[in-house]
Amino acid sequence: MSHPKAPHVVDARYMEPPEPFVHTIEMLDTLKPGEKMLLLLFREPHPLYKVLTQNGHAYETELLADGTFEILIWR
Amino acid sequence: MQGMLAFQNAPPFAAPLRFFLTAPLFSLAAGLLVAAGGPELLESRWTPGLLAATHLITVGFMLQVMLGALIQILPVVAGVNLGNPLRVARWLHAGLSAGVLLLAGGLLLGQPAVLSAAALTLGLTIAAFLIVTGRALSSVPSTSPTIRGLKIALVGLAGAVALGALLALALARGWAIPLPVLTDLHVGWALGAWAGILLAAMAFVVVPMFQLTPGYPARPGWWFPRLMLGLMLAWALAVLLDAAVAIRLIQAAVALLGIAFLLLTLRLQMQRRRARADATYRYWQLGLAGAIFALAMLLTATAWPPLADLDGWSPFAGILLLVGGFMSFIIGMLYKIVPFLAWLHLQNQAKPGRPVPNMNKILPEVAMQRQMRAHAAALVLLLAAAIRPDWLARPAGAALALASGWLFYNLLGAALRYRLHLQELDREAPAA
Repeated sequence: MSHPKAPHVVDARYMEPPEPFVHTIEMLDTLKPGEKMLLLLFREPHPLYKVLTQNGHAYETELLADGTFEILIWR
Repeated sequence: MQGMLAFQNAPPFAAPLRFFLTAPLFSLAAGLLVAAGGPELLESRWTPGLLAATHLITVGFMLQVMLGALIQILPVVAGVNLGNPLRVARWLHAGLSAGVLLLAGGLLLGQPAVLSAAALTLGLTIAAFLIVTGRALSSVPSTSPTIRGLKIALVGLAGAVALGALLALALARGWAIPLPVLTDLHVGWALGAWAGILLAAMAFVVVPMFQLTPGYPARPGWWFPRLMLGLMLAWALAVLLDAAVAIRLIQAAVALLGIAFLLLTLRLQMQRRRARADATYRYWQLGLAGAIFALAMLLTATAWPPLADLDGWSPFAGILLLVGGFMSFIIGMLYKIVPFLAWLHLQNQAKPGRPVPNMNKILPEVAMQRQMRAHAAALVLLLAAAIRPDWLARPAGAALALASGWLFYNLLGAALRYRLHLQELDREAPAA
């Protein structure tokens, strides 16, 4: 699945915890330097934010009208 | 990668668990009080016994779980940590438990000194909680409707407790203030501005997460807390100006706003992707039905006020909203949160690759479903008792006590199984 914002997407909107976290971490491990990934969720993943910051990733979050949070992640 | 690193900042399980385990004991006490008080207790909303039982449910059960859960969930939904969550949990739990016992005792016995002590204990405890939580939340921007909702809900809690303390002191000292009008305002702030906004702020996260529904649309999410607080401020102003018609119009608007949120949640639930109807889903269905019906009663009474004077009208609506609505939502969430936290903490303690028991082993689905039937039966009996207290008040109170005792048994079982598995992991640790 790809998206205009990033080629790699984890659509975790209908996943139960901790699946969104696990899938995101797994995809981050496969990213090449400079690549971006997008996480889609119906909430803001604050625990994930903390891990991203600790591991040197940057992120940017946008809330869409339908309640989807788009979290763009890159290193 | 450090998969479970995210959870290192989670407060210890003991922080929220003490609230979750004692809360059912207070609703059990409310049931016993109704059973002991019998038909006289349900004669009107103003009997000392019903006031005491109501606060055992609202402060003893609802507020206990809400504040305990907030300590746990603030890092997850808002990214903020309280400085020392276990210490905050200890004094908050002690203050709330002592305060609600004093309040129920003071209302029941009409003892001015006990009522004053209750106002002081609960007032100081919640003021301290508001300072700690407010300070933590003010450090983060409102990047989601949930965070904004939490911030506004704290304002609602402050208003509800200030009005409650004023009413308790007025009762204790015989101050000449308009008690019925201020009591309605207190109820509005407690259930609308605090519990209602908090419920919505949590629902924005937990309904899609645990019931696999679509998300709440962003726009109503941003506006609901602000509108509700605005209506509450207008209600307070109308009370100050003694504007009876305005109060009725505002109450109607509050009911409509609440119904709109509940219908939106119902619609999302109908689009859920989980085929299985688990205890949480069923509890939320019950809660939505109860709360919608209760608010529809409020709406009808604002259009035709004599209805509210009918025998049993107010207790019926109150039971529907508290036992049918809020208690159902809260127990439904507890049945997800407690097994999930137990699993999370076990997972965090286990060595990589070491399997930990799944959530159904910690709190079996069948145990939750059975307890839910007892809760639904207690609700039906309590509602029937509001109409025919002479026949049913005592059995209805006993049924509420039974359902609450069962909830306690289920949660205690989960806590004990968690502890057992934790000890197993600890025994394995030295070999590592």
